Amino acid sequence: MAGDERVAICDGGIFRPDLWHGENAEEGVAIAYQELLKNVPNLTTDDIDALCMSYFSDHLNGQLCMGWIVQDYLGLHNKPGYRVESGGSTSIDAIVNSYYMIKSGMFDVILIPGWEWMCEVDVATTNEMIASAADTDWDFPVGGYYNAYYAALEVRHMQLYGETCEDLGRIAVKNHNNSLRWPYSQWLSQHGKAPITLNDYWKSRLVCWPYRVLNTAVMSEGACVLLMATESKARRFTDTPMWIAGVGLGTDSMRPGDRTVDFAYEGMKDEAKIYPDFVEPIKTPYPDMANFASLHIAAKRAYPQAGITNPLRELDLIELFAPYDGVELCLWEDLMLCPRGEGKTLIREGIVEYGGECPSNLSGGLTASGHPVGATSLYYTLFLYWQLAGKINEKCGPKGLQVPDARKALITGHGGTGCQGAAVIFESD
Amino acid sequence: MTEVGMGEIKVKVRKIKRTRRENKYKHYPIVEDNSTSAHEYWEPIVNTGLWSIKGYQVVKGPWGGGTVEESLRREPKEFMVIDRAAFALYSHSYGLVSPFFRGLLEGKLKGTKCPKCGTVYCPPRAHCWNPKCRVADCEWLDLPLTGVIHTFTVQCLAAAPFEHQLPFSMGWVKIDGADTTLAMMLHISPRELFIGQKVKIGFVPKEQRKGDLTDCYAVAVPGQKVPDWACLQKDPKELESLEASMKQTIEFIKKRYGLDNSLKVRGW
Ligand SMILES: [Zn+2]
Repeated sequence: MAGDERVAICDGGIFRPDLWHGENAEEGVAIAYQELLKNVPNLTTDDIDALCMSYFSDHLNGQLCMGWIVQDYLGLHNKPGYRVESGGSTSIDAIVNSYYMIKSGMFDVILIPGWEWMCEVDVATTNEMIASAADTDWDFPVGGYYNAYYAALEVRHMQLYGETCEDLGRIAVKNHNNSLRWPYSQWLSQHGKAPITLNDYWKSRLVCWPYRVLNTAVMSEGACVLLMATESKARRFTDTPMWIAGVGLGTDSMRPGDRTVDFAYEGMKDEAKIYPDFVEPIKTPYPDMANFASLHIAAKRAYPQAGITNPLRELDLIELFAPYDGVELCLWEDLMLCPRGEGKTLIREGIVEYGGECPSNLSGGLTASGHPVGATSLYYTLFLYWQLAGKINEKCGPKGLQVPDARKALITGHGGTGCQGAAVIFESD
Repeated sequence: MTEVGMGEIKVKVRKIKRTRRENKYKHYPIVEDNSTSAHEYWEPIVNTGLWSIKGYQVVKGPWGGGTVEESLRREPKEFMVIDRAAFALYSHSYGLVSPFFRGLLEGKLKGTKCPKCGTVYCPPRAHCWNPKCRVADCEWLDLPLTGVIHTFTVQCLAAAPFEHQLPFSMGWVKIDGADTTLAMMLHISPRELFIGQKVKIGFVPKEQRKGDLTDCYAVAVPGQKVPDWACLQKDPKELESLEASMKQTIEFIKKRYGLDNSLKVRGW
């Protein structure tokens, strides 16, 4: 039965993220789909059993059910089709949903078109509309801005565990300079090829302390499509299938302020690093308003499926959903690459840089390479696909940051302030 | 009467009156009405504004797939970009936790307590979320107007409706006696602000209260010394750069909104 087979990512196509595109969403998806059809010449429309549409916003474009427009635009409107939506988690959840749909045995081949056109309303209003994913009775009225909420989470983590603004700057420099080696990068399109330094970081505009512009996700318009299939079908589409080796999901409280009594995570004592003595203890010390329990539990669920016991050693590279640089640092802890509170060591010692033991966000990630929400995790999954297929230099030229012999990789995605998230582990043959 | 947009049919919208308002609660008494004036303001905008096109531009830009370089190599195309508006006014119930928000109007903070596990919620929950308590009904209690800063940020940018208030600090405060933390504005200078700081909860003047969390704010309990471990002040360079940024923001707000948001004028 099909559901017993392994499930593979079999290539995809990109319509690169940028601050503005003349093309509208369905045209952008079509251009990404063209690239997929070029990359997978064996694929016919008859092969596609179903579509899983990935986009988060109705209000940024004032269009409900845009999935129907896209599906018909691709001429695939006689196929089963679903939309997946979970804020920032949308695109990783589209991958997870497609995985479950294939595992169910009902479908062999699924096409995931993902997109987001985020720049039709002015930036302050876009931020407001995005922040309506926060609790509109309790959090939104106070500032109405995810930048602020994430900044406050980082301040707490920083106070508890001692990373500095310079550490956040180092992560920003790493990500922006990585993105220059990835020819689809939004930063490259907007700012050109010059690398940045810590000095540029200190000069960049402060948004919400401690985050500067260079620490925060960009606003993007862009699209990406992925093709997923059972093992027997995948072999027809690609010589280098990327297998889904483990999948974990997790959720946490809607309001981050409630995580001081996060009963659902009570008893995760192994993760509750003792507070410094100047901080008053709270009822449930993990995750507090500091770490991301949804991603921690997602990884705990995914690792055993993929046979991973030492993620730092066994993962060849990781692509983390980090709309702010402190999130990347916290996630290294939550994904158990290091003990809680030690994220700072990984950036200080170069462990997460290219050439380090576990490079993190070689694509440049959300703060540099682009963040068209519904396409985001598809875009970075495709980056990992080309990494595990050994095709980075073919795609990016000699400057591409190919990890030699990469075989195992992890991607995360999440929405809200870590309200929902997923960790997916990929491996190549 | 409201007129908007380019070359469109001018619609004259009469002001609504209370008697003509859509009334979905008609079977139930309205105990207080402080919303008809909002509907008077909004409905003409909604009725003339929704989905009508206000203008357009033609932009010559890059197009097509591939990498950044590939798209810049092509001859650009002209794209027509329209401006289209959409508005709505939501009539939303605060539900079973309405007493909290009515408390704000009266300058009080209320929380709820689970009778089974004893957890005190502020923000209140009508039902306990401790899985052991099986969604037990919580009981109301009055909370003191004091608390402790759990975490904070200082904003130099904000979403549209808050922009004119910049720069400001927001954070989460653990109200004394509560186990959860409440988001609110912090009227505290960044020089003094730290995690663990004791605060008093103040309220905006009664006539300005709306029944949301911006009715209240936190001020520092006087006489506290900033501890030497405090993350914002530990590195004087960081504090300086924040203050420089705030100054820039204050100038921007003065230009854009004609408001003087300097800390001195605001008194914190
Ligand atoms: Zn309880």
